[in-house]
Amino acid sequence: MKRDPSTVLVHVVFVAAFFGLWEFASSNEWLNRTFFGSPSGIVRYLIKGFAPGGKLWLELGYTVAGTVISFVLGAVMAIALGLSFAVFPRLERAMDPYLTVLNAMPRLALAPLFLLWFGLGIGSKIAVGTSLSFFIVLANTVAGIRGVSGDLITLSRSLGATPMQIFFKVTLPSAVPVIASGLRLGLIFSMLGVIGAEIIAAEHGLGQTLSYLQSTFDMDGVMALLFLLALLGMVVTTGMTRLERALLRWQ
Amino acid sequence: MGAIDIFRLSVRFGPTVLAVDDFTLNIEKGEFVSIVGPSGCGKTTVLNLLTGLVPLEQGDISILGKVPVVGNPDIAYMLARDSLLPWRTTIENACYGTEVRGVARSERVARARALLAKVGLDGFEDAYPKALSHGMRQRCALARTFSLDSPIMLMDEPFGALDAQTKLQLEDLLLSLWQAEKRTVVFITHDIAEAVALSDRVIVMSARPGRIVADVRIALPRPRSVRALQKDHDFHECYSQVWSELERGIAASGGEPAR
Repeated sequence: MKRDPSTVLVHVVFVAAFFGLWEFASSNEWLNRTFFGSPSGIVRYLIKGFAPGGKLWLELGYTVAGTVISFVLGAVMAIALGLSFAVFPRLERAMDPYLTVLNAMPRLALAPLFLLWFGLGIGSKIAVGTSLSFFIVLANTVAGIRGVSGDLITLSRSLGATPMQIFFKVTLPSAVPVIASGLRLGLIFSMLGVIGAEIIAAEHGLGQTLSYLQSTFDMDGVMALLFLLALLGMVVTTGMTRLERALLRWQ
Repeated sequence: MGAIDIFRLSVRFGPTVLAVDDFTLNIEKGEFVSIVGPSGCGKTTVLNLLTGLVPLEQGDISILGKVPVVGNPDIAYMLARDSLLPWRTTIENACYGTEVRGVARSERVARARALLAKVGLDGFEDAYPKALSHGMRQRCALARTFSLDSPIMLMDEPFGALDAQTKLQLEDLLLSLWQAEKRTVVFITHDIAEAVALSDRVIVMSARPGRIVADVRIALPRPRSVRALQKDHDFHECYSQVWSELERGIAASGGEPAR
């Protein structure tokens, strides 16, 4: 995608004006630094945090590791279960009410329980993240499998395709785009779950850091963390979109 | 023994709806037979019974002496919509049928390539279906169907969704492919001109319950050119004959033109 240079310029001017005004307002005490921080303070916090000896790398590492692990766990289990539903429709009918109840429950509310079970380490945040990514990926896998064109099945059956052939040659590839968009959501949900769990209680992680900075009224730090999280979210979504496009050239 | 023998076939949907009633039809090997009739007359149902996709309940069907069975290798089925797999390229789609039926890789690719050239899709082997027009997609579906070596071809309104010009082109293409091998074809359509131009025999069905009201032999000489036929006097004679049979059938079944 090509960007119009004049549009880029407008954005640069707008962002510069926004931060300039913020800095100006806070240095003149029009904005209370205790509540709003200041751009220069945010930059100082980030530089210190990411400089050798700073602790942000470690915290970022915990959050990213937690997100990736809970995404992979949740996605693998969800796709496996969703695909087995395609092969054994009776399993789906049997499990449906329980899955509906579990899915209706706000998963973040499980965090206190998971903290008790898995402790303050990485285990509890992985549990929360996984519980979130699992259901969104499962829902998309099931929807993808249901969306298979009846014509393609009819044609394949008339050709004498076995159920296995139909599954691998028709059902699975036609479900891939819907599963892929489920995976993108799943990754975002994993991050959400991990950070949420960290905010509630953890030894490490950006969420834990955020909660600590908030309780000590370090607003520069809080703002810095919010920007960091937004950036992380963006990296995650763009990465997934790129991957999706590469995998689904036929669309 | 003919290619297809249908004897006193009746189909019910549920306890009340009689879809096809007392349908008897014998088709010789190498014959091109079209079945025309108003929508809802059970044309497609008859085809689905021949493929075994719908179970036979009343009557007898014999396909080359055997009962219908799903996946019968003697049958190549072509659907109304192209049914191309969107994640496969043209050549991969043309290979799909032979792939499912276990033809060796080099053999099926060679057949698909040759047929794609015949249907005028050479140069588009690596295109995905989204990049093809409706007519091109149906050409690819034709290549897929003809690359199977089944002696019987069942076609369910394959050109129904195409514009008039493209339709004529594809009808000529189908005739040229068929002329070379003379396989048995059962062709379902609601377009009488199409049925007359392509077929050796046109079977006219009434509205529901579907019965055969006429079996018209089309004596036009072969090989035919569908485009040349458009201005042919004999062609229009046959056309009006089939048309009046169809009208008679509709009137006899209660005057419902189409459902």
